[in-house]
Amino acid sequence: MAGIWVFAESREHTRELLGAGRELADRMGTTLGVFAQGASASKEYIACGADEVFVLPVLGEDEPLEACVPVLADAVSAGDPDVIFIGATARGKTIAARLASRLKTGLCSCCSGFVYDEGDKLLRMERMVYGGAGIQTVVCETRPQMATIAPRTFAPAPEQEGRSGKVSELPVVPESGVKVLDRLPRQRGAVDVTRAKAIVCVGRGVEKAEDITLARDLADVLGAEVACSRPIAEELQWLPEDVYLGISGKRVKPELYVGVGVSGQIQHVTGIRDSRVIFAINRDENAPIFEAADFGIVGDLYQVVPKLIDEFKAALKA
Amino acid sequence: MLKTIACFKWVIDDADIRIDAGTRKLVLDRAGYKISAYDRNAIEEAVLLQEKHGGTVCAVTVAPSSAKACLKDALSRGPDNACYINDPSFADLAPAQTVSILAAGIKAGIEFDLIICGEGSGDLYTQQVGPALAETLGIPCITYVNKLTYSESDRRITAERKLEDGIEVVSAALPALVTILPDINTPRIPTLKQVLGAAKKPALNVTLDSLGPAGDPCLKTVGIQAAVMDRKKIRFAADAEGIRAAVGALLKEVAIA
Ligand SMILES: Cc1cc2nc3c(=O)[nH]c(=O)nc-3n(C[C@H](O)[C@H](O)[C@H](O)COP(=O)(O)OP(=O)(O)OC[C@H]3O[C@@H](n4cnc5c(N)ncnc54)[C@H](O)[C@@H]3O)c2cc1C
Ligand SMILES: Nc1ncnc2c1ncn2[C@@H]1O[C@H](COP(=O)(O)O)[C@@H](O)[C@H]1O
Repeated sequence: MAGIWVFAESREHTRELLGAGRELADRMGTTLGVFAQGASASKEYIACGADEVFVLPVLGEDEPLEACVPVLADAVSAGDPDVIFIGATARGKTIAARLASRLKTGLCSCCSGFVYDEGDKLLRMERMVYGGAGIQTVVCETRPQMATIAPRTFAPAPEQEGRSGKVSELPVVPESGVKVLDRLPRQRGAVDVTRAKAIVCVGRGVEKAEDITLARDLADVLGAEVACSRPIAEELQWLPEDVYLGISGKRVKPELYVGVGVSGQIQHVTGIRDSRVIFAINRDENAPIFEAADFGIVGDLYQVVPKLIDEFKAALKA
Repeated sequence: MLKTIACFKWVIDDADIRIDAGTRKLVLDRAGYKISAYDRNAIEEAVLLQEKHGGTVCAVTVAPSSAKACLKDALSRGPDNACYINDPSFADLAPAQTVSILAAGIKAGIEFDLIICGEGSGDLYTQQVGPALAETLGIPCITYVNKLTYSESDRRITAERKLEDGIEVVSAALPALVTILPDINTPRIPTLKQVLGAAKKPALNVTLDSLGPAGDPCLKTVGIQAAVMDRKKIRFAADAEGIRAAVGALLKEVAIA
């Protein structure tokens, strides 16, 4: 058998993988399968291009999603797909790594794009290495060819009328060695930095949490959103996780990015690479951010930013 | 007694990576090496558990034979001993190979209750080696952990996983493997005494002859291209005049709402 199979945690993400998978399935002349959590999504997934839906049974309250790995592995062994795409969320990445290990096949982590080579029937998959300094192209020489794909890498598949597909139920998931004791849902911030036209990004050059107001004031003048580097969100927890930029955070493409006390190490720069204009304020003239910036001011942010705010105000009023 | 393994990778220092814009090649030959950033947190977490519960900490790496300097660096951070699984051919291993070598090395001679890996390595950042190693060893796996506790009475660990939709608190019986996030702790900076003491700590040298072949790479790298970015790199002074000029230049480039 052959086929492209996809699996992601959320419906939206699943539809993105269906979009990528449908196009590839047509090129390869094969079918598209999808794993669904619960039967309710089957119709939607079929309308979005799936030929076959494998419904995972509802897990016990105390079972993590990763518990489904053995059932996924059995389904894959039986169905023998040629390609598997898994949504690159924390759980999805874990499931994919364990599945690839069970299936003794290769996995391209966080694949950012691929081309299908008709000659050798292999996907040439791209991913970032060295914090984003390099783009690695890999092929998976074993089957299935596996990749994890981050949210919003591909456009979601549109629903089409009149499509039909097969729905089958997967067997009960065996108890796993990991038990969930509690789930504490995260308050989602209202800000979606990926859509911001302008971004003021704070780094560890800011001395204390209160000083972020300085960046916020600048952002207000510019009509920008405030984002940050990973340590500001994770180590210091001064800003929510959804707004840190970089290879492991959000990738943004605003018209203007202003880095305030951001050193500009490669893992961060990777997330802002597609900004149209990059402007940096840093007191260290050797900070790598200046190599990645169009405009830069070498200076103390506590002195420079208030003056910048005044200058912008004056210039914008005029 | 808690026997912990901390897995660490010796990686190129990304600050030393240069890009040849003409050929779009990464220039790596003059780069230094260091312990992968998040693996310092893995080592630190193992040492913190030892300080609380006793037991041992072994730092394990799979590395080319030229990476011997990694042992002193790792051991200066607190582990009792290290295991250096090395071969000249271990320079550019695919994740599946790293996993099978690590698993073979661990099975061959390191007793453990708990394995701690970093969230991802500084160079490849595949975030695969931890969960795939757990799968290969057939032990429970808890990924993306930012809080970890061990209960001696029932020999279980409880962990908080930081996921996209919130925190998931989970528990597992040992033996188990966890991968940890960098915010779980702040790695200590080794003192001079610890650096000097590291040379005297035992390090087990494991070579390919004692393990057998590295296995199928599964994933083959067909090329690596440098990501290039063209930027103006214009600097302005931090005085009033410079700032005014910067604002002028910016407003010329972008329409600000
Ligand atoms: C596998 C991996 C993945 C990672 N992923 C990400 C990611 O997705 N996103 C991310 O951001 N990071 C990521 N990192 C971390 C990254 O390597 C850097 O450590 C981080 O980006 C640094 O954050 P920073 O610039 O805020 O802090 P620092 O590097 O500490 O820089 C602070 C800067 O502020 C300047 N400064 C200090 N005081 C002042 C002042 N008064 N005025 C002006 N300037 C001042 C300093 O000169 C310095 O350049 C990752 C690392 C690894 C290993
Ligand atoms: N060569 C290696 N030797 C020991 N541990 C490794 C090695 N490669 C990866 N690891 C561990 O696996 C984690 C994830 O690595 P990666 O899958 O490459 O992102 C790292 O943080 C290490 O803890």
